[in-house]
Amino acid sequence: MIEMLSYDFMQRAFLAGIIIAILASVSGTFIVLRRYSMMSETLAHSALVGVAVGLVGGYNPLWMAVIVAILSAWLIEYLRSSFSLYSDAVLAIMLSGTLAVAVIVVSLGGALNNSLFSYLFGSILSVSKEDIITISIFGSISLGLLLIYAKELYFVAYDEEVAKTSGLKVVFLNYLLVSIAAVIIALSIRVVGSLLIGALMVIPTASALQYRVGFAKTIFISLIIALLSVVFGMGLSFFFSLPSGATIVLSVLVLFVLSLVVNKQ
Amino acid sequence: MPINFKVPIFDIKNLNFTIREQKILTDISFEIFAGEYVAIIGPNGGGKTTLIRMLLGLEKPTSGTIKIFGKKLKEFKKWYKIGYVPQRASLIDSSFPASVLDIVSMGRVAKRKLFSSATKEDKEIVKDAMQKMDICDLKDKMVGTLSGGQRQRVMIARALASRPKILILDEPNTGVDAKSQRNFYLLLKKLNKEEGITIVFITHDIGVIADDIGRLFTINQKAIICNDPKKAMSCEDMSKLYGIDAHLIHNHKHEH
Repeated sequence: MIEMLSYDFMQRAFLAGIIIAILASVSGTFIVLRRYSMMSETLAHSALVGVAVGLVGGYNPLWMAVIVAILSAWLIEYLRSSFSLYSDAVLAIMLSGTLAVAVIVVSLGGALNNSLFSYLFGSILSVSKEDIITISIFGSISLGLLLIYAKELYFVAYDEEVAKTSGLKVVFLNYLLVSIAAVIIALSIRVVGSLLIGALMVIPTASALQYRVGFAKTIFISLIIALLSVVFGMGLSFFFSLPSGATIVLSVLVLFVLSLVVNKQ
Repeated sequence: MPINFKVPIFDIKNLNFTIREQKILTDISFEIFAGEYVAIIGPNGGGKTTLIRMLLGLEKPTSGTIKIFGKKLKEFKKWYKIGYVPQRASLIDSSFPASVLDIVSMGRVAKRKLFSSATKEDKEIVKDAMQKMDICDLKDKMVGTLSGGQRQRVMIARALASRPKILILDEPNTGVDAKSQRNFYLLLKKLNKEEGITIVFITHDIGVIADDIGRLFTINQKAIICNDPKKAMSCEDMSKLYGIDAHLIHNHKHEH
């Protein structure tokens, strides 16, 4: 463990991993309760379009991912609320559509190589100092907004109509939540990868729900599970030379199964 | 508390609601005054829930006007004055992570200021609402583990925690046993008589609460308003509305 942390890149990796674990699990609780789990997958793929544009156009891929993810989140929310289409169909359409656009942009730009691959599966070991600063700034803003509006978002997740009749600005709150999720997902794909971030948002909360405790405790348990998974996953990744995104997700899955077993009634 | 006939809480004029060229509600006009206890009955699909949803701003009427506390619905902002308990109250997802206290505290959310946590006053109002509904001992229980009757009281406590002037309940009795239902009607009566909270209640159990309520609205596309609910059960209007013998409805209700 100490040997592992003696490397600069491992210190950065751990720092990034821990920040992402906090962001993904706390926002994930709201996302899961709001029944937006599939949306996190879709936004993760939309963010790849930003990455692609960034890689090809020479912009910062992380920033571009944040911008594209927010725009996609708004589009999804708009389609979902305005056209009462089957909302999971909207998500499926956006997921494949944006992935297709990302791949085409990258191959037209001649950059279909390792760099996109690292955004698909995450490459925590190549996290730069600059990445950590970007993740910290956007992450704190998102987390701050989430905590400021926590009670309102919780009420809307519980019952949107009753929240609306109580006078809450439900439309604003819905857009706020998907925007926060978009930012956090876009920040996370560098670390966990867009194919795997959905898992880190959804599985810790799904595990925490097995304990059947109140709201605050559910967030806390999901946070602990996410942190443990990131630490275990990165350890596994370091010692067995495996891709970190996959080992993190595998760790969180193990904790999910454990939560199921422990709470079996 | 006496009914204040000067200021209507709801002032509904010529309300129509048509969906896909099918008339759901036609030319509905009524007023509901502070302190009233109004029951709404009518056949399934007759438009009761649609009417309630329009009063709450959840559906837009095709034509007609709705005024709440003297203001047009669009301009009305003080929604915390209205407590709404929807039909599905007793059917909430049992795995939703919420203790009874979590749910009742939601009643304060719309009133709070951002950046501020629950004040002492908020906590006391929440406690008071739980006391009124007799659920203080369930405070830390998960709502998913409660019985139908208990959940129903939790939902009303949540509505009460916003200190509403009016409670609107849409058949919240699904899956509730007979004893809990009787207690529930007693509670509503108490809220109306002692706290002066106006109650609008969609129900099927009109026979049981006929003594408590002030007026009875029968909704089947049109509204018929009966000022003496005890006589309503033999009203000719009733049979017209339901299209069957009203006495049958009466007897049927007593079988429960």
